[in-house]
Amino acid sequence: MQSFTHVIQDPMGLHARPAGMLAKAAIAWPCSITVTTSAGTGDAKRLMSIMRLAAKAGNELTVTCDGDREEEAAAAIKAFLKENL
Amino acid sequence: MGFFQKLFGKPADPAPSTPQPSAGPIRLFAPVTGEAVYITEVSDPTFGEKILGDGIAIKPAEGKILAPCDGTVEQIFETGHAVTLTSAEGAEILIHVGLDTVELKGKHYTIRAHDGDKVKRGDLLIEFDPTAIAAEGYDIITPIVICNSDDYSTIKPHAGQSVAAGDLILELEK
Repeated sequence: MQSFTHVIQDPMGLHARPAGMLAKAAIAWPCSITVTTSAGTGDAKRLMSIMRLAAKAGNELTVTCDGDREEEAAAAIKAFLKENL
Repeated sequence: MGFFQKLFGKPADPAPSTPQPSAGPIRLFAPVTGEAVYITEVSDPTFGEKILGDGIAIKPAEGKILAPCDGTVEQIFETGHAVTLTSAEGAEILIHVGLDTVELKGKHYTIRAHDGDKVKRGDLLIEFDPTAIAAEGYDIITPIVICNSDDYSTIKPHAGQSVAAGDLILELEK
């Protein structure tokens, strides 16, 4: 299992567009990928599940990758979040 | 779905609602009166290139968003610019009122439903002022996206026509 945290920089938070891009980035990996905030845990591969977290600028996301190619997936999602959120 | 959950309408935790088995296509109806266009005509690539999923878009002629089917409100963004619902059959629907309208931070939008509400087709979800939103420089085109598009073999839009709220706009087949 691989875990890391990311603090949301986008002033609009984790709204529809970044949530959709994150789901698209996550679905490419075979391992399970979850996103946890103080509001709960969502499946990073499902847009609705991510949006339900309603994460805002300044909120901390904990991303956990578990399963096949979890290290590569964690590195890729970390890079994605740094660039897009 | 458990008896108590059915009785009180709200699950104790935010687990996704259980999809119901269904016969025939899932039918979704226009949430707003206006002009129905193909989603590929939406200028924002997040929608036009179907990054969030396949669907349809409506250029609203009025300022009311109604439920496109019976289902559950998963989330109404507190800014009122978008709402997600799960249909009784399990289709995950995002209605995004205007492009980049998250930036308005709720201005010109009024929320008329709440997270977790069980709704019937035609129930009022959001009111908005299309004229004021357009006057601020935003495109008011409203994509209606099936977030779990991969669960369906066919997503048929009834685009290229004027629609009244409640007209058939999308048919989904497993």
